Amino acid sequence: MTQASWTKTQKSDVTQTSKNSRLKFIIGGAVLIAAIAFLVVNAMSGSTQLYKTVDEFYADKSRLAGRDLRVAGWVLGDSIQYTQIDAMNSRLEFDIVDDYARPEQKLHVVVLNEPKPDLLQHEAQALVEGRGDENGVFTSIPGGLMLKCPTRYEEMEPEV
Amino acid sequence: MLADIGNFALVLAFLCAIFSVVAAWYGQRTSQVAWVESARNATIVVFPLVFTACLLLVISLLRSDFSIEYVWRVSSIDMPAYLKVTALWGGQAGSLLFWNLLLAAFTAAAMARKWDEQRELMPYALIVASLTQIFFLFLVVFIETPFARLDVVPPDGNGLNPLLRHPGMIIHPPMLYLGFVGFTIPYAFAMAALMANRLDDSWILTTRRWTLVAWLFLSLGLILGGRWAYDVLGWGGYWGWDPVENASLMPWLAGTAFLHSVMIQEKRDMFKTWNMFLIILTYSLVILGTFVVRSGVISSVHSFAQSAIGPLFFGFIAFMFVLSAYWMSKRRADLASENHIESMASREAAFLYNNFLIIAILAVVFIFTYYPIISELFTGEKGFVGPPVYERALAPLFALLLLLMGVAPLTMWYRSSAKRIEMGVRWPALVATLFVAVLFAFGMRSWGALLGFWIVGFSAILTLLEFWKGTRARMRRGEGPWEAYMNLLARNRQRYGGYWIHIGVLIMAFGIIGTELFQQETQIRLQSGESLTLGEYQMVFNTVDRFAGLDDLMITEATAEVYKDGRLVETLRPRSELYTRTMQPMTIPDSVSTVTEDFYVLLVDWEPLTPNQATFRAYLNPLINWIWAGGVVFVIGTLIAAWPDRREEKVLVLDPRRTALGAAD
Repeated sequence: MTQASWTKTQKSDVTQTSKNSRLKFIIGGAVLIAAIAFLVVNAMSGSTQLYKTVDEFYADKSRLAGRDLRVAGWVLGDSIQYTQIDAMNSRLEFDIVDDYARPEQKLHVVVLNEPKPDLLQHEAQALVEGRGDENGVFTSIPGGLMLKCPTRYEEMEPEV
Repeated sequence: MLADIGNFALVLAFLCAIFSVVAAWYGQRTSQVAWVESARNATIVVFPLVFTACLLLVISLLRSDFSIEYVWRVSSIDMPAYLKVTALWGGQAGSLLFWNLLLAAFTAAAMARKWDEQRELMPYALIVASLTQIFFLFLVVFIETPFARLDVVPPDGNGLNPLLRHPGMIIHPPMLYLGFVGFTIPYAFAMAALMANRLDDSWILTTRRWTLVAWLFLSLGLILGGRWAYDVLGWGGYWGWDPVENASLMPWLAGTAFLHSVMIQEKRDMFKTWNMFLIILTYSLVILGTFVVRSGVISSVHSFAQSAIGPLFFGFIAFMFVLSAYWMSKRRADLASENHIESMASREAAFLYNNFLIIAILAVVFIFTYYPIISELFTGEKGFVGPPVYERALAPLFALLLLLMGVAPLTMWYRSSAKRIEMGVRWPALVATLFVAVLFAFGMRSWGALLGFWIVGFSAILTLLEFWKGTRARMRRGEGPWEAYMNLLARNRQRYGGYWIHIGVLIMAFGIIGTELFQQETQIRLQSGESLTLGEYQMVFNTVDRFAGLDDLMITEATAEVYKDGRLVETLRPRSELYTRTMQPMTIPDSVSTVTEDFYVLLVDWEPLTPNQATFRAYLNPLINWIWAGGVVFVIGTLIAAWPDRREEKVLVLDPRRTALGAAD
């Protein structure tokens, strides 16, 4: 008899523990999700950029000018210019386009006091963080210029 | 001719893989052992076939056979032989072929090794691994064929991208691939356990070493990638939160969570569902990572050709995910555990917190990486988040994880007393506080850094104390100090190897805090004899020389003397290399490297006509070498944990519960 009642208590105890632990898990999970959400939202507030191509920038120029953007475009090799203004200041400039067939729709990228990246050359794809103005001049933030390896290593057609 | 044989071998391998899936499934359904055995042989044969294809491609590369498009794409006649060999994974088609080779090798090894021990799981594991193989073989047979021919044979090839000629870059991709591919094996066994409804921990024990080895390679790939970026990319950094980097970090995180949580299943038979979920997640992230890298879905600075394989990858991930989800829900009841966490201050709870934190980090990285897609979905505009956002969100999570790393070893299974933990942390906390107080007295005022260093110091002391306690206990039994320590490691490789990994991580964290919070940089144009000063370093510029190097290289090299406290430390030669055939420049930094910091210099610009003027960019990277040193310790720790243990294997064979042989026959 004693044995029977002991078993019974044990069983309901187990159910109780199981319920408790499930509750703990649900609460823990909710706290976890809330914490992640807080960290994500908090870190992102005011620090996200819109990602645009050159053409997208022009399509909505009045709204996008002056905003934090990351633009992507193809480099026009002839436009690359690096000027050492004085000992401490340099200026790197080049144009990017979406389509080489339409070179007039271009952004003029200006990067101050940064080295000229090795990969900056004709047909390289540039990603630039910064702000553009209505005249199509796009000023990069420090460290805001990144380049993809020129695609010719993978996509060029053979010339004989 | 070679190309035809190569293609034929791949087609044959593809057919073998398909046959093995069908035969294994049929044999298992109808209980015909001969079919299953035949499936196994077909799986093993895939390896020599893919190997033959790889060999033929390498021979074609060495012979500069430009009738093969891939050879033309990634190599040129005067490239050194070792680069021609490594060009095997220098482009899309070749790297997919290489993926196939590694996967075939891993699968064949897994099938050959434990076949008799795991008769019940093997047919299913074979099916799952072969499904993955079929997919990747499909890609190289039908979509990205490495043996595609050119109609007209060009006189010379494109040459390998110069950025990929660095030793770090030669080893980095194979390491990542090994890591990626390696996780296929534990995933295959996990799925096999689900399908065969053998949900005890035998699949975990069988694949524990596979998991550790895959994880090791993935870790090595990440560390070497960082080192390569630091040495070659010339931006003074090693990690940029680029989607492609994240694509390999995410499976690493999921794998790390899995490696920790399986220990709860081994000890307490709990968390079976969770472990299944984690290995499925790891595998999915591996395939997703391979997909992201190659599809151009997310804009990244890493370049891979964008090709038609994107939708196929997506389909494959979806298929495997649905398959996994189906089997998990089917075995829902069997995965439930009788045991529960009894105390929130127990070892199992500590592992649970560890999992929570790692999954939280993973979730944050995932959200940010895919933010362009997520934001476009909700707002119609592609958004983007940069590295500072990652760092702000992740810093608290990493800090908690490092703290937990120190405290967790003090907990016991089932429950541990608060008093015991309190006693354990008291002295380490005090010593860490003293350490930070000294830093403060020397003028450090960054609260982030002080807190970071406190946590690292605290956890490092606690971890080292674990070694001390274990060794001392053995010494009391009459062993000498070294003998006691070595026996401690040998008796419990998993645990103490794990602690060495923790020490490695803490050393790396120490370095990361140093470089992230105290990096300085400057850029200046100098005339001969002029100098720049950064921190305690003064660099005097001498001259710029131009000369021809190997191959088609044109080298521009600056010479500059570096002084510290007025004494000459080293003469640096930062340079710019120009590969004249492709007109691809490469900036090679030079640095004064010490335990406390790197003084890292780039030659940015020079006047072609005069040797007397050049522009330099210099970085002072405090504690950066701790990152690499920590990486070495980390790898050694993983090797200790993964080293074959004869006693353990014996146990596995002798334990009837884990020996399917008797049951199956």
